[in-house]
Amino acid sequence: MSISDATTAVSDELAARDDMIVCTGVDKWYGDFQALKGVTATIKEQEVVVVLGPSGSGKSTWIRCVNRLEQHQGGTIVVDGVELTNDVRNIEKIRSEVGMVFQQFNLFPHLTVLDNITLAPKWVKKQPKDVAEENARKLLDRVGIPEQADKYPGQLSGGQQQRVAIARSLAMEPRVMLFDEPTSALDPEMIKEVLDVMKELAQQGMTMVVVTHEMGFAREVADRIIFMEAGEIVEVGTPEHFFTNPTEDRTKLFLSQIL
Amino acid sequence: MAAVENFVVNTDEGLLPQADALPPELPSLPPGEWMKKNLFSSPFSTILTFVFGAMALAAINVLVDFIFSDERNWTAPATNLRLLMTQAYPADQYIRVWVSVGLVAVLTGLSTGLWNAGDALSMKRISMWFMTGGSFVALVALLAPFDSGRRTTWLILAAVVVGIGLAIWFGLGERRRSIFVRSIYVVFGVLGAIIGSLWVVKYGNYALADGELVADPDALVAPTTRIPWTILLAILVGTYFIGRGLAGKVAALLKAIVMGAWLLAPFIIVWVILRDPDLDWDHVISTDIPMALAFGFGGGLILYALTKPGLGEIGKIVAGVLLAVAAFNWVAAFFGWYPMLQKARLSFLFLAIFALAAANFAGDRRTRLQLVWGWLGFMAVVHYMATMANTASTLEIQGDFFLGGLSLTLFIAVLTLMLSFPLGVLLALGRTSRMPIFRVLSTVYIETIRGVPLITILFFFSVIIPIFLPSGMGLSETAAIVIGYTLFSAAYLAENVRGGLQAVRRGQFEAADALGLTGSQRTGFIVLPQALRVSIPPLVGQAIATYKETSLVSIVGGFDLTRIADKVISAQTDFLGVKMENLLIISFIYWVGAFSMSKYSQKLERRLGVGER
Repeated sequence: MSISDATTAVSDELAARDDMIVCTGVDKWYGDFQALKGVTATIKEQEVVVVLGPSGSGKSTWIRCVNRLEQHQGGTIVVDGVELTNDVRNIEKIRSEVGMVFQQFNLFPHLTVLDNITLAPKWVKKQPKDVAEENARKLLDRVGIPEQADKYPGQLSGGQQQRVAIARSLAMEPRVMLFDEPTSALDPEMIKEVLDVMKELAQQGMTMVVVTHEMGFAREVADRIIFMEAGEIVEVGTPEHFFTNPTEDRTKLFLSQIL
Repeated sequence: MAAVENFVVNTDEGLLPQADALPPELPSLPPGEWMKKNLFSSPFSTILTFVFGAMALAAINVLVDFIFSDERNWTAPATNLRLLMTQAYPADQYIRVWVSVGLVAVLTGLSTGLWNAGDALSMKRISMWFMTGGSFVALVALLAPFDSGRRTTWLILAAVVVGIGLAIWFGLGERRRSIFVRSIYVVFGVLGAIIGSLWVVKYGNYALADGELVADPDALVAPTTRIPWTILLAILVGTYFIGRGLAGKVAALLKAIVMGAWLLAPFIIVWVILRDPDLDWDHVISTDIPMALAFGFGGGLILYALTKPGLGEIGKIVAGVLLAVAAFNWVAAFFGWYPMLQKARLSFLFLAIFALAAANFAGDRRTRLQLVWGWLGFMAVVHYMATMANTASTLEIQGDFFLGGLSLTLFIAVLTLMLSFPLGVLLALGRTSRMPIFRVLSTVYIETIRGVPLITILFFFSVIIPIFLPSGMGLSETAAIVIGYTLFSAAYLAENVRGGLQAVRRGQFEAADALGLTGSQRTGFIVLPQALRVSIPPLVGQAIATYKETSLVSIVGGFDLTRIADKVISAQTDFLGVKMENLLIISFIYWVGAFSMSKYSQKLERRLGVGER
């Protein structure tokens, strides 16, 4: 491990905040292939962390481990004080606090936009129908598509679908939002509308972990950038440090290839 | 119910396209060019055109020769239509049959109206149908073994039909493409023409009255046929417009009621309307009603308690205990340890199932009461039906069962489909489950059943199973057949649903998980609705097969449509040995049912496609 404690680069102000996600030595294998090699990182409350790295570097695998879509085989993951174990109740508790937005949106095609958003609040949070629908309409307003409530996902553009997906996650009032390459499947002209929603979310103090290839977003919004390669965290730092003065050779190589 | 509602996508908008939005018509090729392009484009296709054209003509020729041959005895099926429909159902109670058909007509009319079913047909298409239909009549007239007088009559008929088509085509000119008719009106028109002709055209009056053959070829059909059908058509059209009128207003609630009525209709029709239970009111008041109330309100209280928020493990334990009691009741029934009304056993089982679902309704008072109301309504239906089914019928009928002919065919088909659907879905879920015990059991069951011919299973259930049942647990032959057929059909259905389950993308599971849905919520709200939608074509294919293969019942002793056509009519003294005519007629009856199902499934697929990509 080149970096034993990934939080070394955190400013004093950030360090003083509560821990939201604490990963310690997380290992993950797919068959014989080790996808994560002792990933250790702490994400603070209200922090926006962007995870960068070449494809296959384990970025997505890592954040999918955080809400147990993938099961890690070594190390510990603690979310908001609850450790992820095989205990179903812990998994349910963590999933209800962690929202996730996928590359392929994964909206439910057989439900209207409104039903997509209200399904989980109604059945998981047991919200009454009218309350859930009122919230959903507010959220659609917030992501800028209040007029699409009664349409089906297939009738929306990719950017609109991704914004619905964000609204769907927000409806569960999560404490953390995970974004797994949220703009990678979008046409260029739609990327901005999704990033704008994410920026606004960041400004409102949501804790966010974002896997993305959008360097502009990383530079502008991130509190910290984590650079991963081959299943390891290679370098951690502020955007300024990361883009102007990276210390690791592998980071320099990566930046020279994409900038 | 949520899962069912998802299948209903309203298509109110865009049914009748605006005339000015039409693209210009592509210039049609002159007939010579068209034939060259479509029939004779290469030497090989020319050969194919001639070979298959000749084969088609030959086939039509054979069929027409057969139908119109002087040797045919069409009096046999005409006289025995009632036998083919309902076998020996008592004539003085026949109003019950008409009421049953009437109930179906009401539901059909209301549904088509409420859901605004049907497409828009352009006058161009209707005109082409007339021309094609008329040409076919002309073809039949030329091929059939008619004398010249009859041939001329048929050719005039053909000319009139083609003439109507041409009149529409040229009379409307360009507007034929922009004037649309609801397809449902076309259906009403065709039905109206057929039923109206009963009052005008002398199809002949045939009947077997007290063993005496009444055959009057120069008469209108009997009033006992034409009057009910006319009333039925009026009901169908009337309820359609009532449904249309109500569509905008209280649509959601009405649609739910109509869907519920469709589910209940087969049971009400068979056990209440047709069977006419001879209710013993003393028993009803002393036992049936108190028991229904006890289960309804006792169960309601338990369920209300179980939906208390934050109950956690205790709720699961109580539900588990209830399930164990319910299961034990059935075991005890099998061994005859203690007597108990079947109704009570069923109620216990349903209470356990509701209790298992109770955790999903934990929340405020209103959510909790939803489950309790659902339970009360469900218990009312179960106890009403169970009481009716358990009461002896007033009908005096020889034999095992009071239905026969088409009514028995439909009874077995509908009941089998309704019972095997939930079973098949459960088996499919079991086979794809992560729990080994379910997976192995489902797989073994499905593979075993699929390896055995249906006829073997039917023999097994109608002959062998009753022998091994403990004394006192009688099983009527029809019940045995339905059970065997259901178990068979469920295995195939499970495989179709499994195909659908595998088509649901991984991302859907992940999204449901990430939102914190439980496994059963994920299956019920996300996975199954999508899987069933994908499975519609194979499921309808199987429904059609199930409907047609009820004819195997005739081999194991059921008096279904096939048995009556094949064995019963040909044994009547007036029609000894007459078989082919009956078989052709029932083929047509089977075909009408199967073709309607196929058409309906195509509509369903298109309609459900609305929300997708």
